[in-house]
Amino acid sequence: MSKPILKLALEKTYPEFNINLELTIDNGEFFSLLGPSGCGKTTLLRLIAGLEKPDRGTIILNGRDITKLSPDKRRIGLVFQNYALFPHLNVYENIEYGLKLGKYSPVERNHKIEEMLNLFQLDNLAKRAILQLSGGEQQRVALARALAVEPEILLLDEPFSALDYEIRSSLREELIQLQQDIGFTTIFVTHQQEEALSISNRIGLMRQGRVIQVGKPAEVYQNPVNIFTAMFLGDATLIPCRLAGAKSEGQLFILENGQKMELVSREYYEEDLQWLMIRPEDIRLDAENPQFEGEIVRIEYFGPLYRLEADTGRFNFKLIAGKEAGAFNKGTRIGFSFDPGMVRVLDQ
Amino acid sequence: MISLERIKRTSPLYIGVTILFYLPVLAILGKVLFNKQLYLELAEFIHSGLLWNTLSFSVREAFLSAAFSLLLALPGAYYFGNYDFPGKRFLRNLLVLPFMLPGILVVLGMIVFYGQNGTFNHWLAALFPESGFRFTGLYGFSGIVLANVFYNFSFCIRVLGESWERIDPSLREASASLGGSRLRTFWGVTLPLLAPTISYLFLLIFLYSFLSFTVVLTLGGYLYKTFEVLIYIEYNSKLNFDRATMIAVVQMLILAAVLYLQTWSSRRIRVTGRFSRLLPQLSWRKRPLICLSVLGCGLLAGLFFAAPLGAICFRSLMRRGLPGSGWTLDNYRSLFGSGFRFIIGKSLTAVIVTSIGLALTVAIITTVIAYCLARGRRAKPWQLGDLWLQLPVGISFVTFSFGVSLVARRFPPFILVLWAQVFLAFPLVYSLLRTAWRDLGEPVIEAARSLGANSRQVFWTVELPMMRKTITTAAAYAMAFSLGDLAAVLMLGQGKLTTVSMVIYRLIGHYHFPQALAMGVLFIGVSVFLYSLVQENSKGNKVSIQD
Repeated sequence: MSKPILKLALEKTYPEFNINLELTIDNGEFFSLLGPSGCGKTTLLRLIAGLEKPDRGTIILNGRDITKLSPDKRRIGLVFQNYALFPHLNVYENIEYGLKLGKYSPVERNHKIEEMLNLFQLDNLAKRAILQLSGGEQQRVALARALAVEPEILLLDEPFSALDYEIRSSLREELIQLQQDIGFTTIFVTHQQEEALSISNRIGLMRQGRVIQVGKPAEVYQNPVNIFTAMFLGDATLIPCRLAGAKSEGQLFILENGQKMELVSREYYEEDLQWLMIRPEDIRLDAENPQFEGEIVRIEYFGPLYRLEADTGRFNFKLIAGKEAGAFNKGTRIGFSFDPGMVRVLDQ
Repeated sequence: MISLERIKRTSPLYIGVTILFYLPVLAILGKVLFNKQLYLELAEFIHSGLLWNTLSFSVREAFLSAAFSLLLALPGAYYFGNYDFPGKRFLRNLLVLPFMLPGILVVLGMIVFYGQNGTFNHWLAALFPESGFRFTGLYGFSGIVLANVFYNFSFCIRVLGESWERIDPSLREASASLGGSRLRTFWGVTLPLLAPTISYLFLLIFLYSFLSFTVVLTLGGYLYKTFEVLIYIEYNSKLNFDRATMIAVVQMLILAAVLYLQTWSSRRIRVTGRFSRLLPQLSWRKRPLICLSVLGCGLLAGLFFAAPLGAICFRSLMRRGLPGSGWTLDNYRSLFGSGFRFIIGKSLTAVIVTSIGLALTVAIITTVIAYCLARGRRAKPWQLGDLWLQLPVGISFVTFSFGVSLVARRFPPFILVLWAQVFLAFPLVYSLLRTAWRDLGEPVIEAARSLGANSRQVFWTVELPMMRKTITTAAAYAMAFSLGDLAAVLMLGQGKLTTVSMVIYRLIGHYHFPQALAMGVLFIGVSVFLYSLVQENSKGNKVSIQD
């Protein structure tokens, strides 16, 4: 999973925003493009598929420059958000469509279709009209159709967005299993953070046409490069601070309320305003020797855990607690602490 | 995000079509602007009684046609919009039929059914033998309004019914929960929500009736003239081109105001939005009174529609076309005889070949151009460019034909009529294909491309199979428009082009009703065939949507 299969260096200008990025996708990996709506994820996918043309730059797929190739010559599979199945063809014919164009012999074609129908558990639906399928079934057909032609890379444009929670999670699992079994390279576009974190080998976080950060899910989640990344990937407490100076083992930050905090192994030299970020799961309730004390201003129950927000007078800390938080109410005073090693310093 | 390549591909065709559509209109405007004599003519026309008589008649007949069409459509639209009943889809589809009937056929039906010797008067005489009560108003104001209502009433039921269907029932429930009675709810909630559709329909029918040509030319005699008929008379009978030009310009100015109002009202309709819901099923056991009223309403409407057409068919089989004179096929035989050739100057075969050939050519040209333009503009939202292509709807067809005769007098009549009829059919054909392209959506095309299909393969394997039904429907409408056209053939055919519409018009004019009836039945057959093509396709669409 280390050899790059796709190298992108692209620029594209639209009236409303610009795409300007460099990105490399490794062979066999499941890469998720994550970002808010309108950040350019789908456009990037369309550029890769050849449905849009870049103003400048190159797209290298498996060592060949495909920048100027038309979509039909790229060998890139694309699954659309609304699946874009051909309503005038049945399930079998939809899967057959690309194979027919690929000049496969009828025997090979039939064999391949049977294989796909079997793989996606569509055997009983082969002759069914597209409009008679459920959302989940349509999703399977779209995947089968795209994979039947053995594309060099598969692009998935928010393929689960139209499905309900249960079907969504089961299809997600199936897709991962399939991807691991067959080993096809996938670029998956989503704006759902949890989805991207749970299924990807790597994540590329996009904002305003640029890739802000690329890395493994845990890396990106735990070491976000800026506030946007931190907040987009999950909940966090952000505390404004200024660098006070170096100490023997690290650097000393002064929080805006005057409190001092020493952090280890960080290299921040500017005296500009920066942010300390700490994830809710890294803060623990501490009644005996708390670093901070605050009054609960929000309490939300999520079944296995509680999400609390405590006001210390200057900052609002977000933390997660277990069953013990069942006794808390709004206004309850609590104490809590965290390991300074879990705190990250972020730029604006 | 439109690629430059696509814009480049579309532009020449778009420009070509706009030139072909607007050049004749510009020719008329130019003739007025650069001819001082016409200003004097205009001043004289304004001061003459003719302008005000024509305007007053046109406004009155258009107003009453629109008002009666809407009033009569209201009960039917209510039932269509609020209940489901067996055969509803069939009936809804049937409402398109009058729209596809040629104008001259409607006139023939009116004459045969409502005329002095018509079936309606026979019924009246049978019902009230002593009273001498008869309907004598066909050739005049009431006959013209009646024919216009016949044309538009069914369209009103369909559009208003669909608009009613889309009103969110919770709005009425909210009104009821706030203490609103049924009448108060109708007045305060339903009617305001229907108002944009009502005003849109009113203005549309007003426009159609204001531009009425065939009906007024045939039933209006010398007393009643719309501007269309006036232009035709000045052009064709008096050979006064300057005056015809000046009247055409006056009409354009009046139409501009009506068009503005019409566009404004159609824009308001879109704001009302869409709401689809399950309607209560009508059953005799649960709602006997409503069932009875639906049945009564349906029977009356059916009679109103079917009787004139039925009368044509029935009397075509009667000796000399007179009821009670015995059954015969002589009227049909006479179409093949020398008498027909003597009156018309052409054999029946030649007439049919000309009509069908012209209609097919119009259908092919219109559909191909509209398809290419709709395809090229598929990724764009509906905007000014589309409005520009739709504008022929608001330009008088006689004016346009007149304009064509000004700019291309030396062209063969077939080409001139073809040009005019493409213009006539284009707005609807384009609108159908444009909507179909929007519904088809870009992703399906892109999916085919990403699966390895080149442009040609995409066209044959995805576009054509998916658009086939709409293309057939659009072509059928274009054929129906061409077959039904009388104005362009009269103005541009120079007597050399004889179509079925023209034949019926001449037969009526020469009081050869038996042959006119036989021709009318042939025409009904063709219209029903075209209608069945449209319905076959719309049926397929509906099934797939419901599935």
